[in-house]
Amino acid sequence: MTRRDSALRTARLGGMITAAALLGLAGIYVRALMFTPVERTQGLAQKIFYVHAPVAWAALLAFLVTGVVSLIYLFMRDRKLDLVASSSAEVGVAFAVVMLTTGPLWGKPVWGTWWTWDARLTSTLFIFLLFVGYLVLRGALSDFDVRARFSAVMGVMALVLVPFIHVTVYWFRTLHPEPVLMKPERPSLPSAMLVTLLSSIAVFTAMYLGFLIMRYALAVLEDVREQEIVDGVP
Amino acid sequence: MPHTDPTVAVRGVSRRFGHRWAVRDVSLEVAPGEAVLLVGGNGAGKTTLLRVVSGLLKPNRGTVELRGAVGVVGHHTMMYEALTARENLAFYARLHGVRDRARLDVLLERMGLAHVARERIGTFSRGMLQRLAIARALLHEPEVLLLDEPLTGLDDAASRTVVDVIGELKARGAGLVIATHQLVELVGSSGRVGYMVNGRLAALEQCDGDAGNVVTRYRELADSGG
Amino acid sequence: MAASTFSATVAIAAKDLLVERRTKTAFFSSLVFAFLVLTVIYFARDRTAVGDLDLAPGALWVAFTFAGMLGLNRAFLLERENRAIDGLRLTPATPTAVFLGKVFGNLIFIGVVELVSLPVFVLFYNVPIWRQLPVLLLVIALATVGFVAVGTLISAMVVRTRFSEVMLPVLLLPFLFPPVVAAVNLTRQIVALRPLSELSGWLSLLAGFVIIFFTLSLFLFEAILEE
Repeated sequence: MTRRDSALRTARLGGMITAAALLGLAGIYVRALMFTPVERTQGLAQKIFYVHAPVAWAALLAFLVTGVVSLIYLFMRDRKLDLVASSSAEVGVAFAVVMLTTGPLWGKPVWGTWWTWDARLTSTLFIFLLFVGYLVLRGALSDFDVRARFSAVMGVMALVLVPFIHVTVYWFRTLHPEPVLMKPERPSLPSAMLVTLLSSIAVFTAMYLGFLIMRYALAVLEDVREQEIVDGVP
Repeated sequence: MPHTDPTVAVRGVSRRFGHRWAVRDVSLEVAPGEAVLLVGGNGAGKTTLLRVVSGLLKPNRGTVELRGAVGVVGHHTMMYEALTARENLAFYARLHGVRDRARLDVLLERMGLAHVARERIGTFSRGMLQRLAIARALLHEPEVLLLDEPLTGLDDAASRTVVDVIGELKARGAGLVIATHQLVELVGSSGRVGYMVNGRLAALEQCDGDAGNVVTRYRELADSGG
Repeated sequence: MAASTFSATVAIAAKDLLVERRTKTAFFSSLVFAFLVLTVIYFARDRTAVGDLDLAPGALWVAFTFAGMLGLNRAFLLERENRAIDGLRLTPATPTAVFLGKVFGNLIFIGVVELVSLPVFVLFYNVPIWRQLPVLLLVIALATVGFVAVGTLISAMVVRTRFSEVMLPVLLLPFLFPPVVAAVNLTRQIVALRPLSELSGWLSLLAGFVIIFFTLSLFLFEAILEE
C-alpha cells in the first residue's frame, strides 16, 4: 500500500470518528436543553457550560499532546511525530477559539462582564497565544527538518511554561468557581448536570481525536504531494 | 609518510533539504597529501557535500570520518565585520586553542594582509576577505582542508599564493577537497577529480593535469545524466 | 573539557561585547528606548487616580524587557551575517559554550542598560529604592537571567526565519510573563518598603523559573544549532 493510500485510509477513520462525535454533540445539545435541569442562579446561560468546559478540556488536551509529542520527537527524530504535534496544535487552536468565544458569552450574563482577568481565563489565553506563535514559527520555516526541530523546541518550552503561567495568574486572584470536578470528596454538581457534562467531555475528546487523525492524514498527503512535485510527478 | 590511512573517509553519504536530495550516496576517500578536485555545475551538490564532510551538516544517511582537525573555506567569510582582521583571527585562535600569537602575524603576512591587519574587515574587498578566510582555515594547522571556490575574487598573485599554500599542505600530508570552477589554476594541484552530477559522484578519476580534458569528461558525464 | 568550555564561553562573550563596543548602535538604541518607555508610561495615565509609586514597578519592567528584546535580536543576527555561526561550529567550542557565551554577552549588555536606566527611573518616578537596593538588584538580576536565557534560545531560532524582528516578541513575550509579573510584584513590595518576609512567594516563583528555564534552554540549544 502506498503512503497515499494509507493516508487516505487514516483520513477515513478520522472522518468516521468525527461523524460519530458530531452525532454525539447533537445528542448533548438535546440532553442539555431538554433533559437537564436549569441551574438556579445562572439560569439558561449556564447551558453554554456544556460546550465551554468540554471544548476547553479538548483544547488543553490538544496542547498537552503537542508538548509531549514534541519532547518525544527531540529524542526519536521521527517526522511522523512532528506531523502529529503540529496537527494537534492546529486542532487545539481551533478548539481554543471556540473556548475563548463561548467563555465571554457565558461570562457576560453570569459575571456581568465579557472579559475578566481571572486565572483560568488568562492561562488559557496565554496557552492559545503560545500555540498561535508555534504555528507562526512553523509557517516561517521552509525546510521541514528545521521546522520540525524548532517547533519541537517551542512545544517543549510551552509545555513547561504553562504551569508557571497558571501559578502566576492564580496569585493574582481568581473569579472562577473552585474546580468542580477534581474535588477529592465528591463532585458538587447535581448528577443530571454531571452526566451531561461528562458525556460532553467524552464527545469532545472523540471530536478532538477525529480532527487530529484527519489533520494528520492531510499533513501526510501534503507531504506526499510535495515529494511528487520535487520528483517531477505531474 | 607518517600516515597512510585516509584523511577523509566518506561512506554512502546522502543529504536532503526538504524533499530534495542535494547529495546522494557519495563515497570518497582522500589519502594524506592528496587533493581531490570536485567539479560540477550549479546545484550539483558540491557545496552540500563539503558542508557534510566538514560536519556543519548532518548526513541523512552514511558516515564521514576525518583523521584530524578540519579547516574550511566556504562561500561566506564566517567573520565579524566590526572586528579587525587580526581580532577575527585571534578570536578563532582562542576557540581552537592556538596559543602561538605569532602564528596570526605569519598567516596575515603570508596572505598579504599584514598592512591591513588592524583595520576592520567591514571595508575589505572580496579578495581580501577571501584571503582572510583562507588564513582562518589554516590557523589550527588542520589535517583536512575543505575549500569551496577558494580562488573567488582573487587576483593572479593571490591565486598563485593559494596554489602554493595548497602545495605546502599536500607536502605536509594534509588531505584536501576542493570544489571549483577555476580548473586552469587548480587542476595542476590535484591528483583525482570527482565529477558531481545531480548530487551523485558520477566519476572519480585520476587527472592528467589538463583542464580541457576535465571539461570534456564533465560534459560527457553530465550529458549522460550521471 | 570543562576548562575549555569555560574559555570558549569567555571568548564568545568577550567577542560580542567587543563588537558592541565598536558599533554601539544597539546599546544606545536600547538605552534610549528604555528612557522613552519610562517617559511615555509616566504620561499614559490619569495622574490624579494613579500615583507615581503605583505606576513605577510596571513601567520599570516594561522598559527593561522591551529594551532587552532590542538587544537580544542583535546577538544572533551578528552570527548570521557572514555565517560566523558556521565558523563557531567548526571550532571545538561545544553548543553549551556557544549558548553560555551568548547568554553572558547578552547579560552584560542588558545588565548595563538596566544599571544606567535605574537611576533615571528613580529620578523620573521619585521612587525610594536606596534602602532596599540589594534586594531590588537581586530581583533585577534573577529576572534578567531568566529573560536572557529564554531569549537567547528563541532568538537563535528566529534568526533563521525571514521576519526575526517580529517573531522574537511574539514567541518570547509569553515566556516573559511569569518572571516579569513576579518582578513587578516584588518591585512593588520593595518600593513600598514591605518587610522582606513578604517577598518569599514571588521570589521563589522567580527563582524556580530561572533555574528551570535556564537548564531547559541550555539543553534544547543543541537541537537549534545542528543543521
